[in-house]
Amino acid sequence: MPDAKPLIQVKNLNLYFGNFHALKNVSVDFHAGELVGLVGDNGAGKTTLIRVLCGIHKPTDGEVYFDGKLVKEFHPKLAIDQGIETIQQSVGLCDNLSIARNFYLGREPVRKVLGIPLLDFAKMRGEATKVIRAFGLRDNVSADDEVERLSGGERQSVKIGRAVEFKNRVVIMDEPTNHLSVREREHVNELALQLRNQGLLVIYITHDIFQVHKLADRIVIMENGEKIEDASTDKMSAEALEEVIRQGGRVVEKMES
Amino acid sequence: MSLAALKPIIRKHSEIGIFLVAVFLVLFFVATSEGRWNNAYNISTILQVTATLGLMTLGVALVIGTGEIDISVGSTFGMAALIYLFLAVRVDPAMAAFAAVAAGAAIGAFNGLLVTRTGTPSLIVTLGSLMIFRGLAIALTSGFAFSVPYKDRGALSYFILGGDNLFRIGTFPGVNTGFLWLIAGLVILSIALKLMPFGNHLLAAGGSAASAHSRGVRVDRVKLRAFIICGVLAGLAGVLEAGKLGSADGSMGRMMELQATASCVLGGCLLAGGRISLVGALMGTFVLSSIQSYLVVRAIPPQWFIVLLGLIVVLAALGDRKLRQWALKR
Repeated sequence: MPDAKPLIQVKNLNLYFGNFHALKNVSVDFHAGELVGLVGDNGAGKTTLIRVLCGIHKPTDGEVYFDGKLVKEFHPKLAIDQGIETIQQSVGLCDNLSIARNFYLGREPVRKVLGIPLLDFAKMRGEATKVIRAFGLRDNVSADDEVERLSGGERQSVKIGRAVEFKNRVVIMDEPTNHLSVREREHVNELALQLRNQGLLVIYITHDIFQVHKLADRIVIMENGEKIEDASTDKMSAEALEEVIRQGGRVVEKMES
Repeated sequence: MSLAALKPIIRKHSEIGIFLVAVFLVLFFVATSEGRWNNAYNISTILQVTATLGLMTLGVALVIGTGEIDISVGSTFGMAALIYLFLAVRVDPAMAAFAAVAAGAAIGAFNGLLVTRTGTPSLIVTLGSLMIFRGLAIALTSGFAFSVPYKDRGALSYFILGGDNLFRIGTFPGVNTGFLWLIAGLVILSIALKLMPFGNHLLAAGGSAASAHSRGVRVDRVKLRAFIICGVLAGLAGVLEAGKLGSADGSMGRMMELQATASCVLGGCLLAGGRISLVGALMGTFVLSSIQSYLVVRAIPPQWFIVLLGLIVVLAALGDRKLRQWALKR
């Protein structure tokens, strides 16, 4: 059972990009020990919402509470320090750096030599190698190879492996199974459940309602920057939720015409 | 060893191209100059030029590594030289050097803050500061040169800051102390770039600013730091050059920004950011200084240098791209 007190509480959040109203008065709670599916069509605002939660975007107005405290400054560094790990869709890896360097980007382990903080390459290589082997990357890929050489699935594996390795309190997955084979996809979904069972909050973004309905405790549906549904999966079937997404789309079409 | 075995090496070491060019040019110069290029005196002169241009190049390479560019370094160099010479006789050479380098840092901070706070492309910002500080230098000196008379240059500080005849052995006239500063700069920056979190953040910011940001790297601070270091190095180079020559006017350092940028490109630094080679960039500087001196010893009018420089940059960039494309093919 999730805690009664939400770990992340979003209240009346609005975000504008110039004149574009990307998030419209969104309010939603997330609890520890909960796997929440965040669903909606392309451009619904799912990614924008989680980019606020992980500190990339600063909301125009509205409030975000983490662990009961109002969040005043938004920066990925602060989110990561608070224990929010995010697997982003299009960003997160630098092609020009090795897997080991990417793995620890922003939180590099150092050991002091004559007072100079030098990268702890042994640790960086060791941990990164463990993870890429666990995730079944090709045998000829080493932790010293640049990310440039990896396939789409391998990149995704590195990002997921990194998030799981550093997991703390929240893991946000943005379309984590894109580019993955059937077996890899099952592995990722299993990991998401494991993390939830360990008491973490997992937010799982996808537009495949059927896939996430099997995993999630609760589904939040977004449409055009608004939250249009928030229901637990034992109360609403995947078919019913899919209908909501379809309806949401039609309402918008009418408004536009 | 098959050619294919070279691919990973070329992929990892973008500076290989410039080393090949350097080796070829040195052989060519030796073969065609009848000893006028390859003698101790001339080599010492080349190293002298390499020292100050090289320090500037190291800074420019760092900024290029973050995906930005700094073409204001020629003016920074000139301003620092003038500040140093103005204060050296009036106050003290060490204090003067400190003030000049601080001015370099301030110009770097000015560039970096404008770029990161306003999002204006660094090419525009530094083009502006190139003109601002060049204009200031010319206006403030009103056409006159600042100098320190040779007889006043006895103090140890003068020797440390661009003095000549270090390691004088036999017929070898020794090198300028500026060369030691260059080596020190190369060692320190190489450690920072390859072995410290600083370098990881810098190259990440240049490789993909969005990805670096999403991992908690404060990209703006990284860029600002690179601009400041670049200003400091250009300032230090200006001090050393002024210390060596003993005089400077408002045009000091003119066109050097182009040579420094060309050195970086020749040395395998990717202008888009994320991939730089400090050793390669210095090799580029050495190649440029060597060509310049070759023209001098062959009595070819120096105005041809800039033509040749342009041609070499274009050719090297093309050749390097072909080489890398080949190396990246699986």
